[in-house]
Amino acid sequence: MSTLHNNQGQSHLARAERGIAGMQVTRREEGVQEFQTFYQENLSLIYRYVFSKVGNREEAEDLTSQIFIKAIRGIDTERGPQSMQKWLFQVARTTIADYWRVYYRVSVNSLEELLEAGWEGPAEEEPAAISRRPLERVQRILRALPEHYREVLTCRFLLNLSIKDTALRLSLTEANVKVLQFRALKRAAELEPITTGAL
Amino acid sequence: MSGEDQERFEDYLELEQYIEQLQAGRVAHPPAELTPSQANIYRMAALFRSASPEASEPRPEFAADLQARLEQELQQRPRPASQPQSAQRKKEQKKLHYVSRRALLTGGAAVAASLVVGAGVGSAIEHVVEQPGAANTKDPWAGQLIAAGVPTTWHFVTTLSELGDSAVRFATDTVVGYVILNDGDENSKDKGKIIAISAACTHMGCIVQWQDSDRKYHCPCHGGLFSEYGNIDSRSPIPYIRPLPRFNTKVVDGKIYVEVPLKSAAPTTQDWK
Repeated sequence: MSTLHNNQGQSHLARAERGIAGMQVTRREEGVQEFQTFYQENLSLIYRYVFSKVGNREEAEDLTSQIFIKAIRGIDTERGPQSMQKWLFQVARTTIADYWRVYYRVSVNSLEELLEAGWEGPAEEEPAAISRRPLERVQRILRALPEHYREVLTCRFLLNLSIKDTALRLSLTEANVKVLQFRALKRAAELEPITTGAL
Repeated sequence: MSGEDQERFEDYLELEQYIEQLQAGRVAHPPAELTPSQANIYRMAALFRSASPEASEPRPEFAADLQARLEQELQQRPRPASQPQSAQRKKEQKKLHYVSRRALLTGGAAVAASLVVGAGVGSAIEHVVEQPGAANTKDPWAGQLIAAGVPTTWHFVTTLSELGDSAVRFATDTVVGYVILNDGDENSKDKGKIIAISAACTHMGCIVQWQDSDRKYHCPCHGGLFSEYGNIDSRSPIPYIRPLPRFNTKVVDGKIYVEVPLKSAAPTTQDWK
């Protein structure tokens, strides 16, 4: 540990000796270090946010990469971590909106309406609020749902049970489960603004 | 029930199919022509899926790959101000120091990055033009798939008897790739060789996907195409600069091994908290 300190001390000294010419280099390296911290603080947030929009790992990874690459091209490391994070989430939102434009073939007008209604996350809110753990959002919605809806969604998603096992567990037919989960998700979507609004 | 949507039997089935795909960890998209209320149902399904035990955190190897890619991107960004001439030398020293430190920090991951970072190619060239004579005319990643001095290991992929005429995907903590048997249709002298390629697209580093139907690798990000041995396909919509890089392979007792960067040097999950 003390050796490490020594090394750092020396490198600070060395930096100082390099004077103005060296300054930019140092700044640059610090930029890289700042970036590393920034990356580690935000990767999980962005990944979970994206995963909660696409529901599968492969696309979550692809989109997360795209978001960071786009963001870093326009990022201004001088502006401090908060504004960098804001920028990152802005990029994330537009990337998700683009994804939906491709895969959610709703009539264009209604999709734009949905997006305006904050489908990809409210535009005004702080990044931290948008990326609030999807798990937490799911829990809130679950608590607000009637019991039979809560049960079926818990089985299918939280416990990852097959339709067959879910039917067994809830003493329903598989056809019942299909109808029930459809309506449960529909109800969940209706409840979502209420549960998030209550924050 | 709201009057907006009449629920149809097919709606239940389509949703179930979508949920099953997600449960299987596959890419799934909602069916076409949704009403806004139906679209909301699928959006909820994706949200709920993210609460499943399988979802949670990004994989460490993904995190490491992306970080290295971004660092390279950051390094290649145009400078805000022009570099004073006298600083050039020191900068080079600094840069060398930096590279080795990074290699130390991220170990195999940095190497993986070199494969993954196709992005480097285009921008690296710009960078060199921008500063002729600088140390970076020799791109540390160019040519070599695995930089010298990086510990490697032989990763078992499959056996000769199991390897049919399709590409077999493999993934280690540091790289993703494919192994395929060369049947000599591109160049007969290579017939019978085992070829191992990196699956990281040389454009932006997305992981290319093998498709049996046309026997090509498809890049999910920009639709680019690579031939079965990783060469740039003439019909690729993206004019790639480099083919997919190759790994060394060996066959011992009918088992196919690929030389990959060692995983132990890669960051662990703890690093990403």
